[in-house]
Amino acid sequence: MAIAFYILALLIIVSALGVISMKNPIHSAMCLIVTFLGVAGIFATLEAHFLATVQIIIYAGAIMVLVMFVIMLLNLKYEANTTLDYLFWIIGAVGCIAFVAITSQLFLNSMLVPLDYQAGSVGTVANIGRVLFTKYVFAFEAAGILIMAAIVGSIVVAKSVKGREE
Amino acid sequence: MEILILLLKAFIVMQVVLGLASFCTWVERKGSALIQDRIGANRAGAYWQPESVLLKPIAVFVRIFGMLGVINTLLNDAIKGLFKEDFVPEGTSNFMHCLGPFMAVLPVFLAFSVIPLAPDFALFGYQIRPQVAELHTGVLFVLAMGSIAVYGVVLAGWFGNNKFSLLGALRAAAQMISYELALGVAVATLVISYGTLDLYAIIESQKGFNWGINPLVNPTGLVTFVILFVVGMAETKRAPFDLPESESELVAGYFTEYSGMKWLLFWLGEFAEIALFSAILVVFFFGGWQMPFLELPENVWWAALLGHAIFMGKILFFCVLQIVIRWTLPRFRYDQLMNLGWKILLPLSFVNLVVTAAIELI
Repeated sequence: MAIAFYILALLIIVSALGVISMKNPIHSAMCLIVTFLGVAGIFATLEAHFLATVQIIIYAGAIMVLVMFVIMLLNLKYEANTTLDYLFWIIGAVGCIAFVAITSQLFLNSMLVPLDYQAGSVGTVANIGRVLFTKYVFAFEAAGILIMAAIVGSIVVAKSVKGREE
Repeated sequence: MEILILLLKAFIVMQVVLGLASFCTWVERKGSALIQDRIGANRAGAYWQPESVLLKPIAVFVRIFGMLGVINTLLNDAIKGLFKEDFVPEGTSNFMHCLGPFMAVLPVFLAFSVIPLAPDFALFGYQIRPQVAELHTGVLFVLAMGSIAVYGVVLAGWFGNNKFSLLGALRAAAQMISYELALGVAVATLVISYGTLDLYAIIESQKGFNWGINPLVNPTGLVTFVILFVVGMAETKRAPFDLPESESELVAGYFTEYSGMKWLLFWLGEFAEIALFSAILVVFFFGGWQMPFLELPENVWWAALLGHAIFMGKILFFCVLQIVIRWTLPRFRYDQLMNLGWKILLPLSFVNLVVTAAIELI
């Protein structure tokens, strides 16, 4: 299991680097898909089969297909070879240092629970469903309303643009 | 030993998929000839007359297969595909160009890993379940692989570096995304009525007459079957839903720029998809290896073989049915396709879901 984790972790890191370093947007999108699949693989090694399959369906399946769709329709060209400002370097460095500081703080205070590959007994579909519809029902419904609002909003925007043209 | 059994299972499942795909290829070629009142492939091997006496008994079989077109469609076409020039269009990377056919085949084969092909049996002291990945969320895994399958088409269309390819890929992606919604809702309806996501448990619960399509057991089963069948036909991108590869407008759609073995891989993926979809229909609605009036004894190897034969027979029936539909119906117009998906199938599947949930509550 540890070997599988290291292989998947390496895959995730390499493909995540690929997302930001590739010049062609569709290559970046492909790398992002590999990253998502790698995360699904890590879920699978933790015996969280439901999370793994949902990760593939929603992120690798639905969202990235839409991203590819947009890239194709907008016909994006290769990214121009821009040199980064010093400002961007500074912002990036500050972000990196903050991230490392926060994660190391988490490690040092041992706020992270060690992985014991026991998610299989907890993260079953029945358990997740039960918790989702009892304890977290408000958050669940709120997320549903939020997504509904986004859908309605996008339709309204699309319709209004069409009406203006006519 | 455990790993050896697992590898053996994976190998056997792969052979089953390839066998089903080959069968579909042959039925497509010879069956289309039958439907269109042609003769079809019947030359290769049909006139073989060996000099040696020893080869005569083999020659009888070869000639029968040749006349039936088996040698032409399965052997000769594959060899032809292997020896053709592997053409990569200018301006695309070779790696990405290869990725398209690969991604068209891979998800279909992976999806077969969760389908139990026969009942459990014990052999040499080992308890064997003929299912490669014993996932508790098998239904969702099949859906996940269905959503991954879009990439094969999208990549092929984009890295074909051809306008026709791109148009075909866009059509295919739009079609698959549109019909995936109704597919998901229909599958959710089935999960409500079966109460489990495990494909093996779903088949086990359909003993005797309790097939999923039986209205006495599953009142909305017939409606769900119709929805799932139409959606599945659309997901396999074959006529009457073959707008992505419509020959009369787009040359060949998303695989226009592929030749030789890569092109054959697309066909392999398509036929494996038909087989996968038939297998899903059989698992959900026609009881897998369960037959009325037939009680298979548990944990016996010959019962597993018999169950496998029944399962395969049902799958072959649906493969042939789909091919007959493909060669009978004309193509949809694009707006008809979208109307069917969004305005008819999706609301129908939602109503079906609510009704099923209400029945389950009562």
